[in-house]
Amino acid sequence: MDYLSSNKILIVDLETGQISEDDLDDELVGRKIGGVGITSSLYQTHKDKEPIVLGTGLLTGTMFPASALGVVSAKSPRTGNLAHAPFTLKAGMELKYTGFDYVVILGRSPKPVFLWLHDGVADIQDASDLWGADVWATTDSIRRAMGDDLIQTLAIGPAGESGSDLAQVCINYWASGDCWGFGKLFGEKNLKAVALRGMGLLEISEPEDFVDQCFDVFDKIKGGAFAGRRGIEDILSEMGEKDASEWLAPFIHRHSACYNTPYSTNTFVYLNEDSKTLTEPVEPEPGFLINDPCALLAFKRAGFSAQNACRVLKACSKYGIDPAAVAELCEKSGQKDTEKIEQSFSDLKGPVAIPDGGKFSSWSPAQPLFSDFGVSDRSAYLAWWTRRQAVAYLFGIHPIFVNMSPELSEELMIEMFNKGTGLELSQESLDTVIDDVCS
Amino acid sequence: MRIDVDALKCIGCMACEMACGYHRDDAFALLSSCIVVYRAREKKDYFGVVIKEEESLTIARPEGLEIKRIGVAEEPDPAGQKKEADASAKPMLLREPCDLCNGMKYGPMCVKICPVDAISLVEEGE
Amino acid sequence: MCAAKWSKRGFRGDREHSSRTGIARPNNVETNFYHAYASINQKLAQGGKIRYGEDEASVLPRAPRPLRIPRIGLYTGSGTSHSWLWFVELFDRMLFHDIVFLNEDMVKDGALKNLDVFAMSGGDTIRIAEGLDTKGAAELEAFIRKGGLYVASCAGAYLPLKSSKQYLDRFNFVDIKIANLSKTRPEIKRLASKATTAYGCDYVYHAVREDVLLRLTGRSPFTGVSTFLAPLYGGPSMITDNTSEVLAYYAGFTDKTQFLVNESLAQKTLIGRVAAAKTGMGDGNLYLFGPHFEHPHFPMANHLVATAIFWDMKKDRENREISEDEIILEGAAKDKLVRDIKREISNARIVSVGLEAVPIQWSIGCKIYEPEKIRVFLEAIWKRIDNLERLRRIRLQNKADEQLVDCACKVKRILRELKARIDDCLETQDIASDLFDSLRRLTMGFLQIYFNSFRCNI
Ligand code: SF4
Ligand code: SF4
Repeated sequence: MDYLSSNKILIVDLETGQISEDDLDDELVGRKIGGVGITSSLYQTHKDKEPIVLGTGLLTGTMFPASALGVVSAKSPRTGNLAHAPFTLKAGMELKYTGFDYVVILGRSPKPVFLWLHDGVADIQDASDLWGADVWATTDSIRRAMGDDLIQTLAIGPAGESGSDLAQVCINYWASGDCWGFGKLFGEKNLKAVALRGMGLLEISEPEDFVDQCFDVFDKIKGGAFAGRRGIEDILSEMGEKDASEWLAPFIHRHSACYNTPYSTNTFVYLNEDSKTLTEPVEPEPGFLINDPCALLAFKRAGFSAQNACRVLKACSKYGIDPAAVAELCEKSGQKDTEKIEQSFSDLKGPVAIPDGGKFSSWSPAQPLFSDFGVSDRSAYLAWWTRRQAVAYLFGIHPIFVNMSPELSEELMIEMFNKGTGLELSQESLDTVIDDVCS
Repeated sequence: MRIDVDALKCIGCMACEMACGYHRDDAFALLSSCIVVYRAREKKDYFGVVIKEEESLTIARPEGLEIKRIGVAEEPDPAGQKKEADASAKPMLLREPCDLCNGMKYGPMCVKICPVDAISLVEEGE
Repeated sequence: MCAAKWSKRGFRGDREHSSRTGIARPNNVETNFYHAYASINQKLAQGGKIRYGEDEASVLPRAPRPLRIPRIGLYTGSGTSHSWLWFVELFDRMLFHDIVFLNEDMVKDGALKNLDVFAMSGGDTIRIAEGLDTKGAAELEAFIRKGGLYVASCAGAYLPLKSSKQYLDRFNFVDIKIANLSKTRPEIKRLASKATTAYGCDYVYHAVREDVLLRLTGRSPFTGVSTFLAPLYGGPSMITDNTSEVLAYYAGFTDKTQFLVNESLAQKTLIGRVAAAKTGMGDGNLYLFGPHFEHPHFPMANHLVATAIFWDMKKDRENREISEDEIILEGAAKDKLVRDIKREISNARIVSVGLEAVPIQWSIGCKIYEPEKIRVFLEAIWKRIDNLERLRRIRLQNKADEQLVDCACKVKRILRELKARIDDCLETQDIASDLFDSLRRLTMGFLQIYFNSFRCNI
C-alpha cells in the first residue's frame, strides 16, 4: 500500500524475540479498509498465539478532522471475545508515523520488556527496572531513557502486572478507551509498555483533492452544532448532567484536543495548584487530564465531589485500572473515601457491566452529542452508535467526536478513502466490512 | 504580514502543524513544518505554539508571547557583547521559515485549519 | 513507487515545481541537469565511452577527448560548516560516486595524491587554514600543480587568495583580491554585527545574504547560459588580474536578497565584481565561487560545478585504488549493519527533534550553534539509509562498520545525556562540542560507506 500508509505490518514474537515484517497489501486494504477491519483479520490469522494487535485507521494521522484513533484488538479477559479499545490523544497519530501500520504482538516474553517502535525499527527492550512501577513512573522513565518527551506510551501499571481483569492499558499518564482488561494481557505477556515515536511521511494518492475536501469539511464543522462548547464538562452536560460545568469549574485548567480533533474532548484539572495559573507550574504533577467522560459521569452520579472524582481518576491512571469499572464498583459499595478506594485497587474485582455494543468500547458515550443525527428514538441509539463506532474504528476517527459531527458521513469517508488511496471503495463494500467487524 | 497565535485559545490539536507540514512536503509529515505545538510538559498541561520566522522564533506561551532572535546568543559574553551568527551562517534547510504558505491556493493553511481561531494573520509589528 | 517514505525533503531542492516556492527554484528543465550528469556517470561506471559534448554528455562543451569518472575529495575537516553536505547532495543527485571524505590529517598525510578533484565549501577560513597548516598547504599546492582541480565556494574560495594573515599566508596561491575587505566597519543597515566578520585586523564585510543574480562571461567551460542565481553566505566578491579568468560577475539582486548594508553600498561592493573565477596553477586549476554554487536549491549553479569538475579534473591520474583494505558485506551481515545504523540514527534523530523545541544554544569557536544543526547531519544520513538498504552489497574499509556503529551509539548517548542535563538544568556546553565533532565524524564515516557502496553496485 503506497498511500496513507507505511506499507508495513510488524510481527513480534515476545517468546522468541523474533521480529518480522509483512507488506500491507492493497488487496487487504481494499477488502478490509483499515483499523479494526485489518486488526480483526490479523487477530484471526494469529489466533493461536494469543495476539494483541495494534493498528491505526485508514485516515489516522492525516489532515482529515479527528483522525486521531489508534486501536488495540485482542481477546478481552472480561468477555472472552475479540474486542477493540481505542487510544487517542497523540498516540494514534504517533503509531501511524512509526513506520508500522499494524503491530501483531505474540507470545509471552521470558522477562519484562517494553516494545520500542521508532521510524520503522522495532526493538524489544528490557523493562526489568520498570516492573512494579506505576504508569506515570513508567512513562517518565521511558521518556528520560530515550531522551524525548514526545514519546507516546501504551503502558500498564500494577493492575496489569497483577493480572486484574480491570487492568487498563493507559496512554502516557492518562486513561484510554480500554474497558476490556487489555492491561491484563500486557501483564501476562510481560509487556510493560509499547513506546511510540516516528517521523514518517504519508503519501496521498490525490493530495490536492484530498486536502480540498479536508478544508471543506473543516469549514462545515466549524459552524456546526458544537460551536462554542468545549471540554469534558460540556459533554457531560449533553449527557444529562446540566450542572457538570459548575461542578468541575473550580478545577479546570485548560481544555485540549486529541490529534487534529476540532472539539476539545480532554479537560485538565489542577488539583494541587491554582487552576488559573498560566505560567508553567513548579509542582511537577499538578493535576490530571480527564479524557473519559463516562467514568467522570459515573463518579459524579455516585455523589463524589469533583475534586474527589478527579483524585480517584488520577489514582486509577497511575495504577493502570479502568476508572469506569472502579466508579461502578464504588457506586455499588457506596465507598466514597478516596484513600480507601485507592488502597482497595489491588483487591478490586468485578463483576462490572460488560459494555453494550459488542466489540466497541463504552468509553465513547452511546448517544449522539450536540446533534441528533436524525436518531430521535432512544431505543435506536445502540444500533446507531454501533455502526458509527465501526466507521470510526475503521477509518481512524475519534470515537467520541464521531458522535458529535454528522458532517463526517459514511459517504464522505468513502470519498476520502478513494482520494487518499487511489483504490475504489463502494457503499456496499463498506456495509460488508461493517457487518463483519460488528458480528 | 505575519502569523499570530493566541496560546490561551489553543487546544493543542496539532492541526496547524500537520497543515504546515503538508505545505512543505505535499504529503502528511510533521518534520518540515515551521509551526510546532510545544507539548513537552504534558504532566503540567503547559503547552503553546512556536513559529519559525526568517530571523526569529515566536513562542506563544499561555502567559504571553516571546520573540527570540535566531542565531543570537542569549547570554552576553564577558565583555558584555551578545555573540551573533555572522553573515556566513548557512541555512539548515530543515524547517524553513514561515512564508505565509506562499503559492498555496488556501492562503495561510494554519489559520484556515485552526478549529478555535487561535491563529490569525496580522500586520507586521502588531 | 517506493513504499518506505521518510521525510522526503531534508533539502527543499527535491521539490520540482517552482510555482510554490517563489523565484527560480528547480523547474523541470533545470532538474534535467541532474539527470544529464547522472546519465554520464552511470554510463561511465558501466564502462561506456563518451566524448565531451556528444550523446549523453551533450550538457558539456565539445572537446575531442573521452570522459572518465572523476575521483573527488571533499573536505570535511575542522573549521568547515555543514555546507559540505550540499556538495554531498550534488554528488549524490548527479551520481558522482567516487568520493573521498577528507579531514585535515588525511590531507596532510598525502590523500590528495589519489584524487582528480578537491572540493571545499564554507566554514571559518582561518580555522580551516590553521587545521591544514603548512603541510596541508604544501600538499594542496602540489596537488594543483600536478594537474589537480580545486573547486571551492565561500570559505573555500577565500582560502587560496593572497593574504598576509596568520595561517592564511601559507595559501597564497592566486593573485585575486577580496573586494569586500575594509579597514573599518562599514555603515550597517541591519542585522548589526551580522554584516562584518573580523578577518585578521581587517573586516570582511558582507553586503547581502541569500540569492544574488550572476552573469556569466561566456568563457569556456561556462557557456550556454547568461544569468543565473546562487546564494551568498559570506563568500567573497573578488578583484582579479590577468592571471585569472572571470567566469561570472555579480549582476543584481532579487526579492530574496537580504541587504546587510545599505543598498547603494551593496551595489558598489558587489555589482560588477567577480563572483566566479578560474585560475591556472602549474598543470592544474582552481575554480573559486563566492556564492555557494553547490547549494541544493540552485540547479543551474550546480550544473556549473559539475561542468567544472568534468572539464578541468586531473587529466592523467594513474593510481585508481586508494586502499586494499576494503571488505564487501552482503546478505545478513549487510542487513544487520544497515539495521544497526538505522536504529541508532533513529534514536539520535528522535532526541534531536525534541531538542529543537528547547530554547538552548551553544557557543563553539566563534559560532553560535542551535539544536536544529544537530539534525542537519543526522538527516544527511537518514535520507540515504533506505538507498543503502536496497543495495545488494556494501563496500567499506575493514572495521569501518564497527567504528560507524560505535560512533552512532556515541552520538545517541551524548544526545540523551544532553537532554537529561537540560532537564536537570545542568551545563551542556562541554558535551555540545563533543557532540558536533562526533556528528561530523559519524556523517563522514557513513557517507564514505554510502558512496563506496554505490561504486561497487553499478
Ligand atoms: S502560514 Fe503557512 S508556512 Fe506559515 S506557519 Fe502557517 S502553515 Fe506554516
Ligand atoms: S490548530 Fe489552533 S488549536 Fe490546534 S494546535 Fe494549532 S493553534 Fe492550537
